[in-house]
Amino acid sequence: MDDIEGLIVRNDPVVPGYFRASIRLSKPMAGIRPGQFVMLKVPSSEVFLRRPFSVYDYRRGLLSVLYKVAGKGTAALAEARARQRVMVLGPLGNGFTVLAGHEAIVVAGGIGIAGVSLLWSKLRGKKSLFWGCASDAEAGLVNDMISCEPYVSTMDGSLGCKGSVVDLLSQHITALKRPAQVFACGPEPMFVSLRDLLKGERIPCQVLLEERMACGLGICFGCVRKTLDEAEPYKRVCKEGPVFDLWQISL
Amino acid sequence: MADLSLKLFGKRLRNPVMNASGTLGYGSEIEPLWTVDTLGAYVSKGLSLLPHHGNPPPRLWEEASALINSVGLQNIGVKRFFEEKFPLFEQRNTPVIVNFFGFTEEDYVRCAEAIGAHSLIVALEINLSCPNIKAGGICLGKEAEAVFRVVRKVKEATPLPLVAKLTPEVTDIVGIARAAFEAGADGINVLNTFPAAAVDIESKALALRGGLSGPFLKPLALRSVADISRSIPIPVIGTGGIMDHRDALSFLMAGAAAVQVGTATFVDPFAIPKIIRGIDAFLDARRIARLDEIIGTARA
Repeated sequence: MDDIEGLIVRNDPVVPGYFRASIRLSKPMAGIRPGQFVMLKVPSSEVFLRRPFSVYDYRRGLLSVLYKVAGKGTAALAEARARQRVMVLGPLGNGFTVLAGHEAIVVAGGIGIAGVSLLWSKLRGKKSLFWGCASDAEAGLVNDMISCEPYVSTMDGSLGCKGSVVDLLSQHITALKRPAQVFACGPEPMFVSLRDLLKGERIPCQVLLEERMACGLGICFGCVRKTLDEAEPYKRVCKEGPVFDLWQISL
Repeated sequence: MADLSLKLFGKRLRNPVMNASGTLGYGSEIEPLWTVDTLGAYVSKGLSLLPHHGNPPPRLWEEASALINSVGLQNIGVKRFFEEKFPLFEQRNTPVIVNFFGFTEEDYVRCAEAIGAHSLIVALEINLSCPNIKAGGICLGKEAEAVFRVVRKVKEATPLPLVAKLTPEVTDIVGIARAAFEAGADGINVLNTFPAAAVDIESKALALRGGLSGPFLKPLALRSVADISRSIPIPVIGTGGIMDHRDALSFLMAGAAAVQVGTATFVDPFAIPKIIRGIDAFLDARRIARLDEIIGTARA
């Protein structure tokens, strides 16, 4: 882990409302594992704290993040131009754990794709991707990453299957090979329906959670998530997470 | 290299910069970036006698150059702190100030009793900003009489030096500091976060109630440090809004014996080591050999 100065190389819209920023780091960031994140100091005096972003891709000193403009921090980042300086703290948190001999089922909702993209590119062996979004306007989010045919659903039916990504997964789950494991990143309701779907299947499932953070390091205890651990229910998303066992979190 | 060391409550500290309680976790979390022996002293996360879950999320809200937090003093309790976390400070030979709290006066006393003396423990730091459950949730630190009572009881229960950490939400902070001093406190820490609230205009609801911290606190805390250090003859620790070495130097010149850095570490995880180096460079550039020479020079 280190705090590394970087220069924005590109920061372009991918589809309306979503951006991809590529940052050239002044020195290599060691040992990034899929599911880990960085805290970016957005180059704007309006934004006080750093912001967490999943590592979307990292190769040869070029780190990229895929993000949806959702608030003050991401709006300011979207304004950033090439050659602007950013501080990049990372890699942070615990990444995904890949179980040997398991077929990987990757499930992402909307911008949740940003959290599983690096994992997808590193997965060896049989894998399938289920991705759901609001409409075909967001379809471009997966185009540059996927070398296979993903299972796609849209809430309005404008692309792929109509409905949620978990509905789509439920239509295919019996056909997928066992043993299998699920990796998921997306909005809260997606986790709830995943839990309901997987309950009977006894398929291990790791979820990547998102939470507002101040430090990203585990020192402020601000980004906690309630878990089923009765002795210590509130776990830090930045430190004990951001990847949790679906069956350990309180939904 | 100027001599930044100081003697505080009979213990030698290598420099006057500490973390503010609850802004450096249990210490181990920062070690991938810098070791805890960088600090003049490590100030523990607020500890209670028994583990405390803290508040349900959300716990954070960002304001312009400020942070509202409602962590609610989540901690693993005194016993586990000393079993699991304290060995790091022994290994690093780092002085420790143990911050603690309670929800009743008896809680405070029992918690202080549970903390044994150790050569690395510089002092206990009593958090006086907690709601006192038996007094209808009123913050104990707001009334001089209550401060006097709890500080005296804790002093009777522990042989360790005691620092009273004050809440800023009072009409006469010097009066509160005096009550702590007269009850036997060995030092004063000003100040804690300001009570604050945020509204989420999308949901039209109260988003968070909590403590406000950040650089805006500096001039407010500085005023309290100057006033208290002028009128009360025990060391004052200055806390509030310190973002860089200039802020830290302002507190020291205003009369603080030491300073604590909190929210700055969230913005820049290297804020504390940078502040220490900055103080050193400032003194060197002016050929000031010892930190002592600047303490209280700006006291009115």
